[in-house]
Amino acid sequence: MSIDFKQSYFELFGLPQQYVVDEGQLASAFRELQATHHPDRFAADSDEDRRIAQQATSFINTAQETLKSPRLRARYLLSLAAVSFDDERDTTSDMMFLMSQMERREQLEQVTNAADPFEAIDEISRDVKKDYKDLQGAFVTSYESDDLEEAKQVVLKLKFFERLMGEIKQLEEKLEDDV
Amino acid sequence: MALLQISEPGMSTAPHEHRLAVGIDLGTTNSLVAAVRSGEANTLADQNGEHLLPSVVRYLEDGEVVVGSEAQAALGTDLQNTIASAKRFLGRAVGEIKTLSGQLPYKFVEADGSVPQIQTRSGNVTAIEVSSEILKSLKERAESTLGGDLVGVVITVPAYFDDAQRQATKDAARLAGLNVYRLLNEPTAAAVAYGLDQQTDVDNKIIAIYDLGGGTFDVSLLRLNKGVFEVLSTGGDSALGGDDFDHEVAKWLLNESGQAGSKDEYLLRAAMIEGRRAKEALSDESEVTVSLGDWQGTLSVDVFNGLIEALVKKTLMACRRAVRDADIERELIADVVMVGGSTRVPYVRQRVGEFFDKPPLVDIDPDKVVAIGAGIQADLLAGNKPDSDLLLLDVIPLSLGLETYGGLVEKVIARNTTIPITRAQEFTTFKDSQTAMTIHVLQGERETVEANRSLAKFALRGIPPMVAGAARIKVTFQVDADGLLSVFAEEESTGVKTSVEVKPSYGLSDVEIEGMIRASMENAKEDVEQRRLRESQVDADRSLEALDSAMAADADTLLSEPEKHLLLKARSQLLAAKNSDNADVVKNAIKQLEKAAEFYVARRMDSNIQQAMSGHNITEFES
Repeated sequence: MSIDFKQSYFELFGLPQQYVVDEGQLASAFRELQATHHPDRFAADSDEDRRIAQQATSFINTAQETLKSPRLRARYLLSLAAVSFDDERDTTSDMMFLMSQMERREQLEQVTNAADPFEAIDEISRDVKKDYKDLQGAFVTSYESDDLEEAKQVVLKLKFFERLMGEIKQLEEKLEDDV
Repeated sequence: MALLQISEPGMSTAPHEHRLAVGIDLGTTNSLVAAVRSGEANTLADQNGEHLLPSVVRYLEDGEVVVGSEAQAALGTDLQNTIASAKRFLGRAVGEIKTLSGQLPYKFVEADGSVPQIQTRSGNVTAIEVSSEILKSLKERAESTLGGDLVGVVITVPAYFDDAQRQATKDAARLAGLNVYRLLNEPTAAAVAYGLDQQTDVDNKIIAIYDLGGGTFDVSLLRLNKGVFEVLSTGGDSALGGDDFDHEVAKWLLNESGQAGSKDEYLLRAAMIEGRRAKEALSDESEVTVSLGDWQGTLSVDVFNGLIEALVKKTLMACRRAVRDADIERELIADVVMVGGSTRVPYVRQRVGEFFDKPPLVDIDPDKVVAIGAGIQADLLAGNKPDSDLLLLDVIPLSLGLETYGGLVEKVIARNTTIPITRAQEFTTFKDSQTAMTIHVLQGERETVEANRSLAKFALRGIPPMVAGAARIKVTFQVDADGLLSVFAEEESTGVKTSVEVKPSYGLSDVEIEGMIRASMENAKEDVEQRRLRESQVDADRSLEALDSAMAADADTLLSEPEKHLLLKARSQLLAAKNSDNADVVKNAIKQLEKAAEFYVARRMDSNIQQAMSGHNITEFES
């Protein structure tokens, strides 16, 4: 039993094509599809059946990962609207935004000197998560008013935030290792 | 025969529909096998009623292989031919094994950058072959207990195992003649054993698995929803376990008894054994009398807890990280399952309970819980429970990536991504007319190539000459449900397709595995002949060495020129014979040399006695 690899990720999970996704519905649709297509269901069957199952589940997993991630979901919506991305060259030129990113990084560098580094980093993390959320709201506004160029700019900014959150995570891990 | 055919109640209804499948916990220290019988999963015992099979393999002189406690007993006397903890070497290069395990009694050989081999008296063996002996032993136990051939097995691996280690485990199973349904992460198996999937009343339940074994620590967070297990995150430390507790107590014992810094191996070993005994006794007592040599003292639980405090804290830090990786709040965790013998330590249970704010589950024997879970999963995958909706979704434990310009790593699949998964990444050429590109596949979380684990390196050739940046090379990573990776590369801008499939290093190629299986099935005569030849060659070396050192010492004083010539002739004949592939020829040449050297040996003995006496006064011999 194979699946249609041409359908959109939204169609796959029976979700409306929009930025706000019902996480509960995504999760249960994902599990239902897994329950039918996972290679374990074909453990005692032929290699061919297992290969098909492997392809189907890979597709399901990629789809779920895309729709779960705030940035990848936004990017995917734009790609469905024929907006293209060039990962090598595309970047934001919003100076105010770049400045605020630099400030955040400077704050991070100070964390190890703080009296309680864990508390300091938790605070930065909370602020960054809030900004990240606000930015997603900005995406919805531009996307729904059909300002796709602006929406693309927001997606590029989201990438900066992902990198920043990655750095926060790495620093947290380093702090834990040093305990 | 007919008189013996009495079937068990319940077995007789439809015996042919039940397919025999088992779960195997292939452990570093001990291994177990479990099966579902009459609807209940249990570990299977050997003829002596033992469930735990020590993961030790000994190679005997006659080519026979002994597995388990009998082999373990020889660890003190025949260390070099008795391989313990082979799991630590699975999927590893020689260099890694040495840094990981420190001083080892084994002699490792790395043949052409492939699988490292350990020298034993019956030839070189790989960790894969050693593990396959353990698996064979468990297979025999299962087939004789269950009364039939196994159709499939589920083998558990630590959540931390990387691709090469998983591949090596699967290779060991194939070598043992087992059909692997699935490699299962050990913590996941433990959750299955507790039947947490049966609790259908709770949706979206999150479970933590805390697994502290002898030498490894793993923590995993799983989410359970409507019969589907989903691994949210995994973490841990592959070099932290109960043995480290013993080590801390041993250090304390040496300190207290005033023998700190001792290099006496016997004493250190005694301290480790006493440390272990004290640790185990303190699970039930508040203090225990300890001794080391003539020294005697008391170790209280409080002092013991202080000794292991830092180690326990380290495990809790890994728990903290796993919670964050799962992107959940700690309070959401509904159950904590304890796995591994070291979770019997009350202080570990206490601290884990405090961290997760609930008493951990300890009802199932922590040594058996993983095997039992694997047994349940094997039964399911064999199709014995068609109406069960249990499904295990796994994630990859470590990120997979490629080397890019400047020795940096570009991640293609991030860790904790649900598998199976296929992902492609595009690269381009950076020189004009570049026709080949090296694809270097790495696993790990670090930024630089050196800090990560190299899985495979191959070249994509036949790229049509183009200006720099024009070629489009698509590299595809494919990870299957067992967490095993294949990599394909192709140039797609011109429609010219060149693709390469790689298997990670330190696993065996299909050809190698087939060769080994065939070799082990062919009659043993050739093996015996090979061993005789090797032994005779060693004897030849010994004789040659003895002769050379003797002649270097006194040939000029004791031998005439014709005599020297005679001996050197016999020497070169033995040297030539040694390179033949016939043990009898070598042995004969050794005999010839010994015969030719008889007069020389006699003369040396005389001269030695004279020398020994000449330097001494008569009085010395009187006392």
